[in-house]
Amino acid sequence: MRLFLRRKMPGLVRFVVLGLFLIGTLLPFCWMFVTSLKSRREIYGSTLTLWPKDLTWANYAETFRTSNFPQYFANSLIVSLISGALVLVVSILGGYSLARYRFKGKGVLMLVFLATQMVPVMVMLVPLFIVFGNLHLLNTLSSLIITYTAINIPFCLITMSGFFQRIPVALEEAAMIDGCNRMMTVVRIILPIMLPGIVATFVFAFTAAWNDLFFGVMFTTSESVKTVPVGLNSYVQKFDVNWGEMSAGGVLSLLPVVVLFTFIQRYIVSGLSQGAVKG
Amino acid sequence: MSATNTRSARPSVSRRRLLRRLEPYLLLLPALVIVLAFFAYPVLKAVQLSFMHYVLFEPQNIAYSGFANFKALFADPVMPRILFNSLVWVVATVGLQFVLGFALALALNKKFRGKNGLQAVVFLPWAVSAFLIGMIFKWMFNQQNGLINHLLMGLGLIDRPVAFLAIPHTSIIPVIIAMIWYGVPFFGIMILAALQSVPHEIHEAADIDGAGRVRQLFQITIPYIKPTLVLTVLLRVIWVFNSADLIYIMTGGGPANTSDNLPSYIFNKVGYTTDFGQASALGVLMLVVLTLYTIVFLRITKYREAGEI
Repeated sequence: MRLFLRRKMPGLVRFVVLGLFLIGTLLPFCWMFVTSLKSRREIYGSTLTLWPKDLTWANYAETFRTSNFPQYFANSLIVSLISGALVLVVSILGGYSLARYRFKGKGVLMLVFLATQMVPVMVMLVPLFIVFGNLHLLNTLSSLIITYTAINIPFCLITMSGFFQRIPVALEEAAMIDGCNRMMTVVRIILPIMLPGIVATFVFAFTAAWNDLFFGVMFTTSESVKTVPVGLNSYVQKFDVNWGEMSAGGVLSLLPVVVLFTFIQRYIVSGLSQGAVKG
Repeated sequence: MSATNTRSARPSVSRRRLLRRLEPYLLLLPALVIVLAFFAYPVLKAVQLSFMHYVLFEPQNIAYSGFANFKALFADPVMPRILFNSLVWVVATVGLQFVLGFALALALNKKFRGKNGLQAVVFLPWAVSAFLIGMIFKWMFNQQNGLINHLLMGLGLIDRPVAFLAIPHTSIIPVIIAMIWYGVPFFGIMILAALQSVPHEIHEAADIDGAGRVRQLFQITIPYIKPTLVLTVLLRVIWVFNSADLIYIMTGGGPANTSDNLPSYIFNKVGYTTDFGQASALGVLMLVVLTLYTIVFLRITKYREAGEI
C-alpha cells in the first residue's frame, strides 16, 4: 500500500489537477460557444438549457449584418500586424545591442526599460490624448498603431535581448572569420536560428495590440476606425447586451488569437526557460 | 560630434572606430526615443496636469490650481472604499493566481502524452482580450439565466437567482474571480519555465539521499527558482494594480463606485467628468504608491539582482 501511494499517487494527483484546470479553463469558452448557437428566445427563456434545443447559426449572421464587425476585424488586423512588425524591428535592433555590446550606461538603460513596466496605462491615457489631439491624429488608426508599438517595445526588447544571449557568440565570430560582416552575420545566421523567439515576440506584441480596450475607447470614435474590442464595447454600451450576438462576435474575435497561440505557446515556455526573462 | 576633430591623421579608420563605439547607442536609439516620448513625457505631463484645473469641456478655464486636485481627492468620500478595493483586488488576485499557477506548473512539469495540446488549452486565457473575458464572466454571473446562478441553485446553495454584479460592496468579488481565472496561465507559464531550468541532477541527488517530494519542493525547487518567483510576483502586482478592464466591463465600478479600484475610478473620471486634472492627480497617486511598493518589496526580499536582469 505504501509503495502504491509512493508510486501511483503523484500520477493520480497530476491527472486530477490537470483535469480540473482543463475543465475550469474550457467552461467559460464552452459556455460562450453554446450561447452563440442558441436562439434569442432560448437565451432569454424561462429555463436555462445547457445545450441549444434548436441549434442555430443565426447569431453569426446577425453579427455580420447588424454590427460593423468585418470593419472592426479588418482594423484590428491592420493595427496589430503593423505595430507587431514595428515592435519586432525596434526590439531586434535594441535587443541585439543590449545582448552583444558592452557600453557605458547599459545598466541604467536596462533599468529604464524595466521601469516603463510600472507606468500605469491610466497615467498615459490623458497626456497621449492631448498630444494626439494636437497632432490631429485622434480618431485614426495611426494613433493606435503608434501607441501599441510604443508601449510594447520595452518588454519585447528585454525578451529579445534574452533570446540573443542564448546564441553562442562563437557562432557569430566563426561567421565573421569566414568573411561576413556583422550585419550579414546577424541577418543570415543569427536571426534564422532565433526564429522561434522572433515569432513569440511578434505574437506577444500582436495579441497585446489585438486585445487593448482603453486606448481604443479613448482615441477612436468613428465606426470606421474602431477595433474589435472597442467596436463590440460601444455596441454593448449603446444597445442592451444581446448575449447571443455578443457570444458569436466573441467566438469570431477569438479565432486568430487561438490559431496563433496554439502555434507558439511551446516556443514561449521553452524560450523563457532558457533564460529569456532572466537574460 | 567629434568626427571633425579625429579626422586629422587617418580619417577613415578613426571615423569607423567612432562609429563602432556609437553602434550600441545607435541600435538602441529608436527604442530610447519611443520610451522618452511615450513613457517619460506622459508621466511628466501627468504631474503637470495634476496641478492644473483642466476640464476638457471648459477649454477657456485651464489654469494652474496648486494642490486643489489633491485636496479634492482626499476630501472625496469614495476614496477610502477605492483604496480598500485596490488592496483587496491586488492581494486576493495575485495570491490566488500564484498558488493556482504554481499547482498548474508543477502538474505540467513532466513529460506525458498529450502534454502540448493540454498546455495550449490551459494557457489560452492569457492570450484572450480582457474585454471578452469580462463579457463571458458577466454573462455567467448574470441574474437571469446565468450559468453560476443555475449551478448554485442546482446545488441548493441559493433559492432564487442573485444579481451578483449589482450588490453594493461585494460586486467586486465576481470580478476578482474572473481576474484570477484570467491570470493563472501567466503564472503557470512563468513558473513552468523556471521549473524547467532546475537541473535534474539536484533532484536525483536528493532522491538518493531519501528526501521526499514535498521536502524537495520546499528545500530545493523553491529556493532554486526564487529569483524568478520574486520577479514574477513583483511585475504581476504592478500589472494587477494597474489593471481596470475587467471592472470597467463587468460592473463599470458600480453600484455607486463600490467596486472601483484606482485605475477604473480614473477611467470613469476621464470618461464622465472629463476632469483631466483630477484624473492626473489620481494617476500621480498611483505612481507614488507603486514606487513605494517597489522599494519596500525589493528591500524585504533583498532582491538586489532585480535591477540587473
